[in-house]
Amino acid sequence: MNPEFRKHPPESLASVPFDIPRPFETTLSNGLRVVIFENERLPLVSYRLAFFAGDIDETENGRGLVSAMALLLTEGTENYSSQQLAEKIERLGAGISAHSSFDFTTISASSLSFYTSAIFEMLSEIILKPTFPESEIDLYRRNLLENLKFQRSQPPFLASEQAARLIYGKHPYSHVSLKPADVERIDRESLQRTHRKVLVPNNAVMLIVGDVRRDEVIKELEQHLDGWQPGSAPVRNFPEVPKREKRSITVVDRPGSSQSNIVIANSGFDRSSPDYFASLVMNQVLGAGASSRVFMNLREEKGYTYGAYTRMDARSLAGDIEATAEVRNDVTGESISEFFKEFERIRDEKVEAEELSDAQSFLTGVFPIRAETQEGLTSLLINRELYGLPEDYLETYRERVKSVTADEVMDAAQKYIRPAEMAIVVVGDAASVVPQIKEFAPTVEVFDTDGSLIESQ
Amino acid sequence: MPHSFKLPPLNLEQFSLDNGLRVVLDRDDSIPVVSMAVYYDVGSRNERGDRTGFAHLFEHMMFQGSENVPKAGHFQYIMKAGGTMNGTTSSERTNYYETLPADQLPLGLWLESDRMRSLAVTQENLDNQREAVKEEKRLRYDNQPYGQIFDLISSMIYKNFANSHSTIGSMEHLDAASVEDVQEFFRIYYAPNNAVLVLSGAFDPNTAKELIEKCFGDIPSQPAPPAINVEEPGEVASNYSEWHDPLAPFPAFLIGWKIPQRGTEEFRALYLAGKVLYDGDSSRLYQKLVKGDESVIQLFGFTDERRGPSSIFVGAIPKPDEDLSAIRETIMNEIRDLSVHGPTPSEMEKIENQLLNDAVRTRQSSLARTQQIAEFALYDNDPNFFNSELDSLLKISAEQIKLAAAKFLNTDNRALLDVVPAGSGA
Repeated sequence: MNPEFRKHPPESLASVPFDIPRPFETTLSNGLRVVIFENERLPLVSYRLAFFAGDIDETENGRGLVSAMALLLTEGTENYSSQQLAEKIERLGAGISAHSSFDFTTISASSLSFYTSAIFEMLSEIILKPTFPESEIDLYRRNLLENLKFQRSQPPFLASEQAARLIYGKHPYSHVSLKPADVERIDRESLQRTHRKVLVPNNAVMLIVGDVRRDEVIKELEQHLDGWQPGSAPVRNFPEVPKREKRSITVVDRPGSSQSNIVIANSGFDRSSPDYFASLVMNQVLGAGASSRVFMNLREEKGYTYGAYTRMDARSLAGDIEATAEVRNDVTGESISEFFKEFERIRDEKVEAEELSDAQSFLTGVFPIRAETQEGLTSLLINRELYGLPEDYLETYRERVKSVTADEVMDAAQKYIRPAEMAIVVVGDAASVVPQIKEFAPTVEVFDTDGSLIESQ
Repeated sequence: MPHSFKLPPLNLEQFSLDNGLRVVLDRDDSIPVVSMAVYYDVGSRNERGDRTGFAHLFEHMMFQGSENVPKAGHFQYIMKAGGTMNGTTSSERTNYYETLPADQLPLGLWLESDRMRSLAVTQENLDNQREAVKEEKRLRYDNQPYGQIFDLISSMIYKNFANSHSTIGSMEHLDAASVEDVQEFFRIYYAPNNAVLVLSGAFDPNTAKELIEKCFGDIPSQPAPPAINVEEPGEVASNYSEWHDPLAPFPAFLIGWKIPQRGTEEFRALYLAGKVLYDGDSSRLYQKLVKGDESVIQLFGFTDERRGPSSIFVGAIPKPDEDLSAIRETIMNEIRDLSVHGPTPSEMEKIENQLLNDAVRTRQSSLARTQQIAEFALYDNDPNFFNSELDSLLKISAEQIKLAAAKFLNTDNRALLDVVPAGSGA
C-alpha cells in the first residue's frame, strides 16, 4: 500500500462518452406530434401524452376544472367503470395516470412491453371516451374539499401559497390552490367542455420510450386514436408579473410550531430565457445542492437546519427564484440574515474559477445519471418538447453549461437575485418569530393558517 | 400472460478481502455510470438504552471528514465529479452510496475507504451535526402532522428494546452523545469485516478489483461486534393507545401487526396479502373505503422488513364525522374474507404482473440494483438472492396468502393507535 496514494483524490479513468441519440419524430394526420425513442435494454415502455394547456388556461369562474378533468379521466369511460379501469390496468402490473400543472396537462403510463397493445387500448378509452360519471364527480369534489383543509396543516403549502401571491400578483401562476366555491362549481357539463378544449391532438405531443418498434407504435396510434378531431390551442394573454419595489415580510402564524419554514423569493425568468444556463450555474453555486454555499453555511457551519437550498422554477411564461430552509424557532432571524449575506456575496464577488468549474462539472456529470432510467430519460426528452427547446438541446446541454463564465454568473446573480425587493415568508410561531425578523423589511403582515390577514404593520 | 418470460439473472461476482470486507461486483455497461454502496451491519437495533438515535447521528459524522478528506469534502468531491450520494440509517443497517460517471470509480472507492479507515471526529463537528439531526427530527417527526405515529406504533408492537425504539432517537440521548461514544462506535461497527461493498454499473472488473484491494486492503479488521438479541414474544406489547397530536387536522388511526422476519415464506405471503389489501386503486380496501363507502380521505399500508420480527401496517385518515370503529370493522372484515377465501385468481394475476414489473424496473438503475444486492449480501450472506427473490415471491400460492393472513392479521396480534387532533385548530 502506497500511503502517497491516500493523500490526494485519485486520477479519473479514461472518460466514457455518452450521447442520447435523437428520437424518431412524426406527426399524425390529426396533428398529434409523436416522438418515439426505441430502447430495447429492458422489456419496459413509458408513455407521456402532454397537452399545451393547463391550469393557467382556466377562466375566473372555472378554477380547478383542468385538474379535475385530468384526474377524472381515469374514473369512468364509455366501456369501463372506474373500478374496471383500475383493475384492468393494475392486473397488467401497469400504471396510467393523468394530472395537470400550471402550463400542461399530462397523461402518463408505463408497462411491461408485453402489454403495449392493451395500454394503447386503455389510453384511447381515457382520451376519447371519458364519461365523467356524476357519482365520481361528487366524490372528487368532497375529497378535494377535505384535501384543501388538510393542506392547511402543511407548512410548505402555507409558505408556497403566500410566496406565489406575493411574486405573481394577478398572473395566474399565483393560484396554487382552490377556494371551496371553485370546487362547488365543478360539474359534468363544464368538465366535458374542458375535456374538449384541452385534449386537442394538434396541441399535444406523445412521447413513447422503451422496448417498442416505431412502425408498430404508429399503427397502434392510428388505429386507437381514429376519429380524434383537431381543435385550437388556448390563447394565453395574461397580466404581467408585478414589479416589486421593496422587501416585505409575511408570517403565517402556526402557534407552538417548533420550526420556522422560511421562503425568500423574487421573480425570475421563463424556461426559454437566454439567461437559463448562466442562472443554472449560478444557482448551483448558490444553493442547489449539498455542496452549495447556503447549505454549507446554514447547515454545515451553523447547524441551523437540516437543509437549506435555493431553487429556480422556470415555467412556460415566467418563473421565480427562491431560497428555502426549515430552521428552529430561535435562529429564524439569524438564518434570514445568513441568506442575505449569501445573496449579497454572489452579486458582489466574482465566483472563483474552482468553484465555478465544480458547479459546472456537477451539472454535466449528473446528466448521464439522469438518463439511466426510463423515467429519467422520458423527463429529459419531454422537457425539450414542452418548452420548445432547440432540437440539439440534449446534445449541446453539457457544452452550454461548460461555456458559462464567471462574469455571466455574476450578471445572472445581479439580474435575478434581488435582495432589495425580496418577499420573505415565514411559517411559524408568530409571537417568537416576528421580533426576530421585523428589521429585515419595512412591512410585516401576519396571516392565520386559513389564509386570513390578522395583522399588518 | 408472459409466462414464458424469464428475467435474465445478473452475473454477480463475489469475493472477500483478507480483512473480511465482502465485495460484490454487478457489471452492466449500458450507461457509463457506476453506483457503489457500503452497507455497515449496524442500525438502531444495536443501540444502547441510553443512546437512542446514535446510529443515525453517527451516519452524519461519516460526512464530517477523515484523515485525507476535509469536513464536508465528501459532498464536494462527489458533486464536482458529477455524482450524487447519500447515507441512510434504519433499524437494520447504515448505508452509504454514490452514483458517479464511470470514469470516477477511483474517487468513490478512495472516499469510502478513507472514512472506513480513518474517520476524523471533533467536538465541533459533533455539536454541529447534533443540531442538524435535531432539525431533521423536528422537520420529519415533531413538527409534522402524524409525524410520530410510526415510531409510536413500533413501540406498541415490539417488546424488545432493540426493536421498539425509534431510529431518530430522543433529544436527551442526542445531547448526551460524546466524542468518545463516536470513536468507540466507529471502532466496533465500522470495521471492514462488518460491512459489504457493492459495485453496479459500467466498470472493468479487473480494474475494480485492483482499486478495491488498493483502497480497502490495509484497513484492519476488528473483533466481531457484540451479538444482539432481537427475539420477540408472539403478542404485541400494547393493544391500544391514543396519541393527542397537536398538529393533526383530522382524526386518524394506524393498525400494526407483528409478523415473521423477512425471507420467510410467511413474510412473503403477508407482503403479497398487503398488495391485495392496500396497493393501488384496484386494491380491496381502496375500493371499499375510498370508493364504495366513501368514508376515507387517505388509505395507506406497508410492511417494515426486518431481519428479526417484522411488521405490517394499515392506516387511514377518515373523513370528518365518520365512525372510526366502523371503518376498522370494514378493514377487519376484508382481512377476514382474505383469510377464509384467499385472493381471487385475478388478484393472483395482478400480483404476478406487479412483481415482474417491479423487478424489471429495479434493474434499470445501477443505484437500485446496488442497494438491493447489498441488502441480500449483508442480511442473507448471498447476493444471488437478488436473482432468486422474484421466483420466491412468485411461488407463494393463494393458499399460503390465505393461511398467513388468518394466522397473523387477526385482532389479538394487533396494535391500534388512534390519533386525536389536539391542536388549537391548526
